[in-house]
Amino acid sequence: MNIRVHMKVGCAALAAAVTLSGTASTQHAQPAQQRDTRISARVTAYDATREVVVNGTVLSYSENSTSRPNGAHVMVQTPTGPVDVHLGPSSYLRANHFSLTAGDSVRILGSMSSADTGSVLLARIAQKAGQTIAIRSTQGFLLATGATRGMSNEQRMQAAQNVSPR
Amino acid sequence: MNSEAKRLYVLLALIPFSYLLVACGDGGGSAPPPPPPPVGKFSNASLAGQFAFSMTGSELCAGVGSLFTRVGSFTADGNGNITTGLEDVNVCAGTATLEFTGGRYAINGDGRGTLQLTNSTGVTNYSIALSSSAEGLIVQTDVAATASGSFQRQNPATFSNAAIAGGYVFDFSGVDVNGSTVDPASFVGRFDADGAGGVRNGLFDSNIGGALSGQQLFPGGEFYQLDANGDGTRFGRGTANIAGGSFAFYVVDATRLKFNGTDFPSALAGDAFAQQNMAFTTASLSGNVAFLIGGSSSGGPISTAGRFTADGAGNLSNVVLDENNSGSITLLPNGTVTGSYTVDANQFGGGTMTWTDTNLGTFSFIFYLISPTKAVFQEVDSNIVSDGTLSAQTTTPISAAPLSGDYVLGWTAVSRAEEDYVGQLTLTSSGSLTGLVDFNEFATGSQLFAVPLSGTLVLSGDGTQANTFTANLQSNATPFHFTAYVVNQNIVYLVGVDNDRVIAGPLMRQP
Repeated sequence: MNIRVHMKVGCAALAAAVTLSGTASTQHAQPAQQRDTRISARVTAYDATREVVVNGTVLSYSENSTSRPNGAHVMVQTPTGPVDVHLGPSSYLRANHFSLTAGDSVRILGSMSSADTGSVLLARIAQKAGQTIAIRSTQGFLLATGATRGMSNEQRMQAAQNVSPR
Repeated sequence: MNSEAKRLYVLLALIPFSYLLVACGDGGGSAPPPPPPPVGKFSNASLAGQFAFSMTGSELCAGVGSLFTRVGSFTADGNGNITTGLEDVNVCAGTATLEFTGGRYAINGDGRGTLQLTNSTGVTNYSIALSSSAEGLIVQTDVAATASGSFQRQNPATFSNAAIAGGYVFDFSGVDVNGSTVDPASFVGRFDADGAGGVRNGLFDSNIGGALSGQQLFPGGEFYQLDANGDGTRFGRGTANIAGGSFAFYVVDATRLKFNGTDFPSALAGDAFAQQNMAFTTASLSGNVAFLIGGSSSGGPISTAGRFTADGAGNLSNVVLDENNSGSITLLPNGTVTGSYTVDANQFGGGTMTWTDTNLGTFSFIFYLISPTKAVFQEVDSNIVSDGTLSAQTTTPISAAPLSGDYVLGWTAVSRAEEDYVGQLTLTSSGSLTGLVDFNEFATGSQLFAVPLSGTLVLSGDGTQANTFTANLQSNATPFHFTAYVVNQNIVYLVGVDNDRVIAGPLMRQP
């Protein structure tokens, strides 16, 4: 949901006061409509079929970069040149005790994309000194917002002791 | 409420305050100021009766923001007291049904106000803005939880299975959890309620992490049932299985139900609206239409607003939109745009829509018509899960003078983290505006109240196209820039076009 993951859109006044008769089920006798479920490609999409691995050294790290997509970015020096990597919300990295500083050796699995600020690697998994963090789902969506919902029951019980009133 | 959930929420009540202090960040959190003496159209008496509410937001869980949902009912006595109520929450620790044991509220003359709800886990705090004495917008203003949504006055006479009858169109969104995989999810569709707890003719289209279901029949087991333990008749609460998912729901009235998913750890929430009883065809969608949707892309948050003209024969023209995809702004038209739509042959009101800009590519959608002038709207482009609403632009041309007046605003944003805004403004016939806004900034743990707002609405052309809305919040160094799509003289859709923040939401006229 949610821009969080889902941005809620206020949609008041949508309700239409109508009374339906019992004929609704008989006037529509046909089954589900066949749909074309192929999806249109957009230039900024994560392409899971074209994932790449980038190995290199951190040149710079910004928690709140001006590059797009918004969020944390790390510039990685690779043998073929610098690569801008999008890591999602910095709060998610901090919560998972994943930090980057210049000179760190990193390995990033992700998909190259383009934004209005240039080419960017959308990271799915980042590794540093034996530490691994999953940043996106296999379908390319940021895990940050709902990641705690993927926890084990034990982790969830632990988390439940540290939350606020509902 | 099962015993496991009860146990979880006993634990939730034991909050270490150090946890909150860490979340406070820059210490910007402050108690809401006492309301001034009522001067204006609203007072505590304006909020009286039973109201159903729904919210989605971010809670701090295991040190990280996590999506949560809450849907429920509260009863206001018209004198500043919450006397009773019930809510269903889906939080990172589980789901629960919690009864309100009390609470307070205060409504200012401009319709803004504060609300506190007390349950067994403690007190939660909200800012609200009444668009009328029957409905309003709401934002949670706690340090460790921010959320936004709406509330509507309930009609207790409809708290029965029999009152829920006929066709309903729904839009549920949230996250789908499959093992450790978490993806954004959107379900749109429709069903017939038979007035006795049965559901027929259920159809849906889902978009889970970019995987499209195509239109599906409900998989079986669908039902709706008002609670028989007294919660049904007291609060309008019931349970349901819709599109294969389990939900708690609250009845607003026979035309609107609010749903909260209970298939934890997945979380879905949304509304169902009574569908006009008619056989929908291509001709059912005709004229000028505005839309506003939001969700996730592979880059992060995304929100899109726009408008188009449907000719009633499957063709679209005059497509204009503003998309903010995690800071990247896309404006249509860029090249030449052509578009088309279909309405399903089964005449249940579902349909598809697509348009292509010769420079920027194709945009594809699913819709389910509530009536010829309203629909739920779901984007189905790759790596985008986004949904919302579309509404006929019933007033054209649109000029500044008829738009002048008082409005409530409700905006949801993501910058470094979620931000939720609720407030009130007065728009003059010259397009200038002033108002006051409350907001919760999750990243810093800051809640700001009665922040002065100024700005402008500048209409372009006949007003049905992309207009410019600028909002200067006194607390912010830079203004928010929006594109405004006017639905009619009562509703304006706003989408932010700044690179550093994805923000969207409506303006809704006050009386």
